[in-house]
Amino acid sequence: MNSLERIVSATRFQAVDRTPVVAQVFGHAAALAGVPLDDYIRDGQTLADCQLRALRRYGYDAVFTVMDVNVETEAAGSRLRYRANQYSVIEQYALSSDNDWNKLSLPDPLKAGRMPQMLKALAILRRQLGDEVLIVGCIMGPFTLAVQLLGLEKALYLAIDDSPRLERLLDFATEALIRFGQAQVKAGAHLPVIFDPCASPAVVPPGFFREFELPRLGRICQALKAAGALANWLHIAGPVQPIFPYYPQAGVNLACFDYVVSPAEVRGALPTTCLAGNLRPVAFVDGAPAEIEAEARNLLRFFADNRGYILSSGCEIPPESKPENIAALVNAARVQE
Amino acid sequence: MNALAAAILEGDCAGALSSARRLRQSGLSAELIVIRGVEAAMAKLDAKCTLEQFNLLEIMLAGRAVMDVMKFLYPAGKEAQNTKGSVVLAALEGDVHDLGKNILKMILIANGYRVVDCGKDCPLEKLVAAAKAERPLAVGISGLITPIIPLVRSVKEVLLKRQLGGVKVMAGGAALKQSSPDRLNVDFVAESAFDALHYLEKLAGAGK
Repeated sequence: MNSLERIVSATRFQAVDRTPVVAQVFGHAAALAGVPLDDYIRDGQTLADCQLRALRRYGYDAVFTVMDVNVETEAAGSRLRYRANQYSVIEQYALSSDNDWNKLSLPDPLKAGRMPQMLKALAILRRQLGDEVLIVGCIMGPFTLAVQLLGLEKALYLAIDDSPRLERLLDFATEALIRFGQAQVKAGAHLPVIFDPCASPAVVPPGFFREFELPRLGRICQALKAAGALANWLHIAGPVQPIFPYYPQAGVNLACFDYVVSPAEVRGALPTTCLAGNLRPVAFVDGAPAEIEAEARNLLRFFADNRGYILSSGCEIPPESKPENIAALVNAARVQE
Repeated sequence: MNALAAAILEGDCAGALSSARRLRQSGLSAELIVIRGVEAAMAKLDAKCTLEQFNLLEIMLAGRAVMDVMKFLYPAGKEAQNTKGSVVLAALEGDVHDLGKNILKMILIANGYRVVDCGKDCPLEKLVAAAKAERPLAVGISGLITPIIPLVRSVKEVLLKRQLGGVKVMAGGAALKQSSPDRLNVDFVAESAFDALHYLEKLAGAGK
């Protein structure tokens, strides 16, 4: 069984030769290769090279072309600041003034901002890895993109002060995300992960998620599936228990869960959704291999009788993580008791 | 007073302001309105915001109403005189995310603390200078990203070198709250803004 087959089997609750392991290594791949992070997030060739190098080093089951969370907003007109060896930050939101709303237009994934670079990275990885390893692209969720276009405070207040306007923005975001996601699949991604941190119940109430986000996530999942994505992977961190019931409704069949959610809770709430989680990301920075391995083994024991599980962290493994900690995570899955 | 608290909890800025105006006109002091109205509302919000039921939207809506009321009660230049103590807040150099810090600031102001806000992307030196000038109960560091952890670890030591060893250091935010006081070399790691408030209430109580 190769890595891709292993993961696809897990998403379908079929038997696997061992539990798949997905270390969410994004910018850490640059750190490992000694490449400045600000180069990594802007150049598709560099990103792909670093991901391949990290894959060879650790031997996990998936590679990612995640740049940072600002790819779509930059493509839609936000101005970013690139800082030495760091992820980008938004300097000016695309919707900084009322006039900007009329200027908003759907970004072309083949031309806008860094989107073509991400597509390039996906094409390189697919050429190199074929169908051996899962190749994961990335799009934001609709509300997260709305926040990245407007700013979190403004987006939240808009939900209350002028919800029809927020809905129009969410529809724009949904369309932009579908286009980008479909282009990723066409370029070589087996699936794009949908990052939607701002839709977490830590930020908005579950009712907000149900009314505003759920229908649009549903549209995205449907469009990605039609484009050929192998699964719909939703990634929301934090105390997500209250929105679990909506995941299957949206068409999500692979979901991350964070360290604040227990395996029993998530499995109970999502018996037919493949799960990926939930080691504490900071533990890869300040912990030790023995601690990572012990936590990983606890998870593997919990899910031993359960199909539909991928050993992973709850969120990104930080760029400055200790390599021996990531190796310990992978080792736990590869050498199962 | 109940109308004021209810309007704050509903995020009704206009309602909160008109209640505060009515209370002022009836002769109540700004301080009393804060203690009985604003703080009461914040206590209800605190009780409501458990770890499982905490969301920014409700807190920010209440916060917007609170800040409108506070600006009315204490116009620029007429700041509250009797505070429970002061706190210096910052997101340290390299971290440009300040929403968590801003929420904590609002909650602390609404609960009668003086807050000195050093902003985001704040050099350690600026934080220490503010602590030196202010002699606060604590400095609070909000961190969304992990690369600032080494800087967070150095804060206590730097304060100690500047004879500010009595100033407590508290940390919070998505990245920092995953860690522990030992690993971050701080006195307290807050799970939420209200958790930080509870810690300060203990410090303020102990200092009386």
